[in-house]
Order: sequence, then structure tokens, then C-alpha cells
Amino acid sequence: MRKTFLWATVAFMLIPLYVLTVNAFKGQQEILGNPFGLDGLTLEPLGRALTNPQFDVVKGYAVTLLFVVAVNVLSVLLAAPAAYTIARSPKRRFRVLMLFFLAGTFIPGQVLVIPVVYVLKTLGLMGTIRGFVLFETTLTLPFSIFLYAGYIATIPAVLDQAAAVDGAGRLRTFWQIVFPLMRPAVATMVILNTFSVWNDFVNPQIILGPGSGLYTVTTGVYAAVSQYSTDYTVVFPTLLLAIAPLLVFFVLMQRHIISGLTAGATKG
Amino acid sequence: MTLTREAPVATVREAPRKPRRHDGLTTALMAGPATVLYVVMLVIPVGLAFYLSLTDWDGFSADPAFVGAANYASLLDDPELRRAALVTLLVAAAGTAGLNLLGLGFALLVNGASRANTFFRIVLFYPHVLSALVVGFLWSAILGTTGAVNNLVTTWGGEVLPFLSDPAWATVTMIAVLVWAGFGVNVVLYLAGLQAVPHSLIEAAKIDGATRRQVFRNVTLPALGPSVTINIVLSLVTLLKTYDLVVSLTAGGPAGQTQTVAYLILWNSFHDARLGFGSAQSVILMLVTAALAFVVTRLRRRGEMAVHQ
Repeated sequence: MRKTFLWATVAFMLIPLYVLTVNAFKGQQEILGNPFGLDGLTLEPLGRALTNPQFDVVKGYAVTLLFVVAVNVLSVLLAAPAAYTIARSPKRRFRVLMLFFLAGTFIPGQVLVIPVVYVLKTLGLMGTIRGFVLFETTLTLPFSIFLYAGYIATIPAVLDQAAAVDGAGRLRTFWQIVFPLMRPAVATMVILNTFSVWNDFVNPQIILGPGSGLYTVTTGVYAAVSQYSTDYTVVFPTLLLAIAPLLVFFVLMQRHIISGLTAGATKG
Repeated sequence: MTLTREAPVATVREAPRKPRRHDGLTTALMAGPATVLYVVMLVIPVGLAFYLSLTDWDGFSADPAFVGAANYASLLDDPELRRAALVTLLVAAAGTAGLNLLGLGFALLVNGASRANTFFRIVLFYPHVLSALVVGFLWSAILGTTGAVNNLVTTWGGEVLPFLSDPAWATVTMIAVLVWAGFGVNVVLYLAGLQAVPHSLIEAAKIDGATRRQVFRNVTLPALGPSVTINIVLSLVTLLKTYDLVVSLTAGGPAGQTQTVAYLILWNSFHDARLGFGSAQSVILMLVTAALAFVVTRLRRRGEMAVHQ
């Protein structure tokens, strides 16, 4: 009984993925005639989606990946040392600083996007990669600092003192002694940030804008699919290409990803 | 490791205590960049959101005119916003119910370590890793007028089902898709909560002759209290800002009937170039979200207290 019900649910969860996958390899007639069938499979629509002038998927991957890497690197470089100074400071200051950053996790991105346009325009960063990366990085800071500071607090301060005794400065103590021990927390944050940057739609759409000619995977899918939503030979292959890398990544790393994303889900 | 070897223990006594001035500099170097970025791109914008909501900013002018509470006044008699607020509250309420009933129900079903359960959890969770934009386009290709399901229905001689073309249907479809894509997260969160339910309590209840239902109602559910609160608040906060899925699944249609508040905020701001008005809406959305989260937490806490008495 329980098993039958669960397997029925599995089918319900996976059917959309099945429809997406098989129809990405079919012509419009075959899709309309028999959306669930396997006849008339061809690579042609996928090839056309790859060379779609509306949205260069390969370039979209490259741009998105660049953003993912840039945001992750910058986020770690900024949040980790900040979290360290917070975690190792006296109790009262620790609490005040922590609250200051923690408050940021409660601000929804949608509320920020309008005033951030104002800030970016003032700084001359609107519509630029730099502006976008800086803003996306900022969105990762509150929770990163919260998670890192909590983690560093569990690392014995005796280690720092030993390093100081050996003549290492605070910077060196942090990056050479403490930071390598933060691997699990950093891995969680990297997973979380990778998904949120890869899947973000509002911020690249508005900050980069269509005028910049820079499409991430999501804004590219929007440009390619929303106008041709009934030409299924465009819709299905484009969507498949958009999710394929993430799905592969998810299947390979599912345990870490589920725990990482759930940590992120509870952040506020 | 190399560090300890380079500096012999003998130097301990002479280890120079860095002067305080230098310490301050290092702290500034370590915490400064993050703090500056956080203040410029998050703290200042939150303040600006309030300020801009009192102006007529169009997104281009360098110094927008101050209009006082005019934006807030026009919020009150904006029929579009009233409808969007209703849709948003409906989506949030029904979606929260769906996410949590399914989340808790399936958590109980896939609780326990086994290969099959791991597989079930992965399958229930996977839509969460896809962008809501893709999920929406995918379901609109499946449920649209010429979509996969309607093709099947018409082939079998049935009428086209208006999943996305009738306002009431479209709202229900949107809620269903949100639940489909999101309840896996609640499953995982409830599973974490279930780990914390003391096993001895359940065993004791069983020994006392409690049925499975009684164990759930009187032991498991009360012990899950904090977990339920977190899940409800989380679902509510997430659903109140539903945007991407509206764009891709219904584009706000038919005839604007499935527009949510977040959709309207961005539409007013960037399509109609009324960013001042949009700011007023987002300030209200932020305050309403905070208020609802607070009220739910309060009510739940009172409920939990009652259970413990």
C-alpha cells in the first residue's frame, strides 16, 4: 500500500521530466500528435536550440558559470575573514555585529531590486557585470557570515593562539590555520550560492537588462521561450539544455546538495 | 604544520605581542570590505526603498520629486493591486497548507534509513533545484491549451481543459505547481524534525497500547511543534513573493487574473517606469510579510505552550 502510493508519486514527480526529455528530441507534429510517445526521435531540434540566434545556450552557460564562480570566490573572500573577526571578538561586540548582518537575511530580494537600481546608477555600475556580481555577492553575505561565524566558534581558539605564539599574524593565522578547517561550511555555502545565482531570474533581468546583450541561462530561456511558447520544438530542447547541467550536478552530489539547500531554506 | 616547524618552541617567551594599533588595522582589513559592500548594497537600499516610495521616481531622473504619501494613497484605490493582493494571499494560504500537509505526510512515509527511502527523497526534492522559471515554462507546455495533457484529452475525444486559460483554473494550477515544485524541501525539513522526536516516548506510548494514529497525534505531532512553525513561516514567506513562476506559467494571465503582488511590483516599476509606486508596494509587501511571520510564530508558540500544559 505505502510502496504503491510512493511509486505513484514518483511517477507524478518524474513525468514532467520525461515529457521534457522525450519531446526535446521530436518534431512539432510528433509532439502534438503523441506527447508521451517515443516515435520519430531526432537530434535536429536540439541542434537548432544550440544554434538559436535568440539565445546562444553555450554562451549562456559560460556567462552564468562566470557569475557563479565570481560570486562564490568574492563571497568567500569577503565573508570568511569578516566572520572570523566577529567570531573571535568579545561577546557583546560579537552579538551586535552578528545581529547587524543577520538582519539582512530577512530582507527579500524583491524589495531590494528597485533601490539597488538607484544605487547602481549612482555608482555608474548599472547594466555592468561588476555591478551585478557585487549585488549578487552582497545577497550571499548575511547568511554566509552567520554560517561561517557559527562554524568558527566551534574551532578551538587555542589553535589561533598557538599560531600567534609561533609568530603568525592574524591574517596568516586565519587563512592558513582556521580557513582550511572551515571546509564543510564553505562547501554548504558554495552549493547554496551556486544554485541561487544559476537560477536567479529577476536580478540579471533587471540589473543586466536586455540592452547589455548578456544573457544568463534563465534570462536567455526567457528570451527564447516566452515568445515562442507554442513552438514546442524550441521550448522543450531549450528547457532541457537549461536544466541538464544542474540536474547532473544534483544527481552526483545529491546528499550534500539536499543538506546544503535545506540549510539555506531555513535561513530566514 | 610547516608553521610550527619554522618557529621553534623556544621563541615562545619572546613572541612579540602585536601592538593594538596593528590589530585594529587587521580587523578593518578583514571585516571592512564585507561591511562596506553590505552597507552600500543592502542597508542603504532598504532605507532608500522607504525614501523612494515617497517620490515619483521613474528609474531615469537623477533627483526624483518628493510626493509625500501620494503613492500609498493610490495603493488604496488600485483595483489591480487589490486583486493581486487577494491572489497572493490565496496562493500563500493554500500553498502553505499544501506544502505542509504533503511535506509532513511524505516525511512520515519516507522516514527511516533505506535505499528506497533515499531514492524517494531525491525524487521528491529534485524540482527544487530547477529554476522556478523553467518549472513554469515546462508545466505550461504540459498544461497549456495545445499542451501535452490537452493533446491526449482531445485525442480521446474530450474537451480542452482550461488549466491556464480560465482565471479560477489558472490560480489553482499555479498553486498546484508551486506545491509540486516545493514540497520536497518541506519533506526534508520535517524529516530533520522527526529525527529529534525522542524514540523512548514513542516506545513508551506503544507499550501503553496506543494505536499508530494515537502515537502520531499525541506524541509525534506535539514533539514536532517547532518544526511545524519553521515550515509554516518558511512556506508563507516564500509564497508571498511568488514571481518567477507567474512570469513563466501564466504571464499573469488570463487578463491579469493571476498577477501576484511581486509580479505587479516589478511590472509597475520596470514596464510602467513607476519605481516610486513600486517601492511603496514593496515596502507594504515587506511589512505584511514580517507581520504575518510574526503573528504565525506567536500563535504557534501559544499553541505549543497549550500542548505542554
